[in-house]
Amino acid sequence: MASEARGLGVRQFKAILRKDIVMELRTKEMITSMGIYALLTMVIYQVALSQSGTAFDPRNIAAGLLWLAFVFTSMLGLNRSLVHEKDQGCLEALLLSPVDRPVIFFSKAVGNLVFLLIVQVLTIPVFAFLFLQEGSYAGEWWMIPLALLAGSVGISGVGTLLATMSVNTKGKDFVLAVLFVPLMYPLLLAAVSATSAAVLGGDGSVQQFWTGMGMMAGFDAIMLLASFALYEFIVGA
Amino acid sequence: MNRHIVVLSLLVLGGVMTTTAFIMAFFFTPPVLGPAVTNEAGRILGYQPLFSQKIFYFHVPVALASFLVFFFTAYYGVRFLMTKEKQYDTRARIATEVTLLFVILTMATGILWTRFEWGRWWVWEPRLTTYFIMTLLVIAYFVLRNSIEDEERRATYAAVFGIIAFIDAPISFAITRIIPSSVHPVVLRSGGGLTGSQLAAFLIGLFGMLMIGYALYQTRVREELAHDRLEAVKAALEG
Repeated sequence: MASEARGLGVRQFKAILRKDIVMELRTKEMITSMGIYALLTMVIYQVALSQSGTAFDPRNIAAGLLWLAFVFTSMLGLNRSLVHEKDQGCLEALLLSPVDRPVIFFSKAVGNLVFLLIVQVLTIPVFAFLFLQEGSYAGEWWMIPLALLAGSVGISGVGTLLATMSVNTKGKDFVLAVLFVPLMYPLLLAAVSATSAAVLGGDGSVQQFWTGMGMMAGFDAIMLLASFALYEFIVGA
Repeated sequence: MNRHIVVLSLLVLGGVMTTTAFIMAFFFTPPVLGPAVTNEAGRILGYQPLFSQKIFYFHVPVALASFLVFFFTAYYGVRFLMTKEKQYDTRARIATEVTLLFVILTMATGILWTRFEWGRWWVWEPRLTTYFIMTLLVIAYFVLRNSIEDEERRATYAAVFGIIAFIDAPISFAITRIIPSSVHPVVLRSGGGLTGSQLAAFLIGLFGMLMIGYALYQTRVREELAHDRLEAVKAALEG
């Protein structure tokens, strides 16, 4: 019985996730909008760094710039992913169907995570091409993907909860930003620290990387658990 | 009625106690000694008294009180989600109002201290950063509330955000402390322990501040619950 119920949950999870991915494959709306947004952020960076002089090495702030781009694109993506659900009445239909609330949370969060990771994979080479041509990468190759994954899990998990709230408010994306940025502050700080350690290397960078990873893992565990427990109230209200 | 008198006397007592702590800080507590003053030969002549440390007797109580009151935002949030009773939402909202007041006072005194201790108005130091983030979280709580019209939805969302913000604040403090920041070195004075009169002034200030917080909260709750009752009566008369 228990395994049957679990099997059902997994099937529902897959169904909702597949719906999001199929919709994305047909419209290509999320990836295009998030990708172009990330590209525009790069242009803004060029403007911001245009007067910093030749001695300035963008490598020193590369991690911060990357995460900045991811914060803004993820807010855009999170908002869109839930606005679709709401505008087309899909969320109501989901709630009417006999699907457990936690399953809705996990499938939406994983969907958002997938889109965010795709955008990150597309953005990083562009960023490196535009800003880091002379620089070298100091860390191990797996360090950056690991840091990206740990940061993105927290962003999409808590972000899914917050976006579900914000689409039902008058302010929508503005409210999302107001809730999202202060809540994510500790995660971003750890993410930038770990990513920066991987990019720059040097003495103690391995330790700095793992400290950041540990912090991110702790944040992810606590905040995802809280979001998971509280999602039921949000989605039902 | 009796309860109201208790609350009002706590408010007055809290005011008297924080003022006492303030006066004690200037007249009765020995100054904390700061960096050593040396002569040309490098011999230590004595230690510079730190008068900016006097703000400690106001700043730390108000900071602790703000965090304690914020706990009640989360606590009543949980109570609301469990019972769906409107009064818990009102209580959580008022606890957050008091938190906002205390957090702003903490920030203001913290910034003054930073200015005199480190010569800068703002330093991204763990405690200041945490309080900055906490201020933003409390403001976000009210932005969220004001952005929702449906009453029950507003209460539910606010409860959820209150809980998650309360969980986030200590994480923020821990992470800002552990993650090394290369922009500004973290200057943390190791507490050398408080002497008797310093501890007395501090505790009087702390309990006074907690009383003020409690009394403000109770007075506002009384006002709001009376307001709700009045609205209910009005609605009943019209209907």
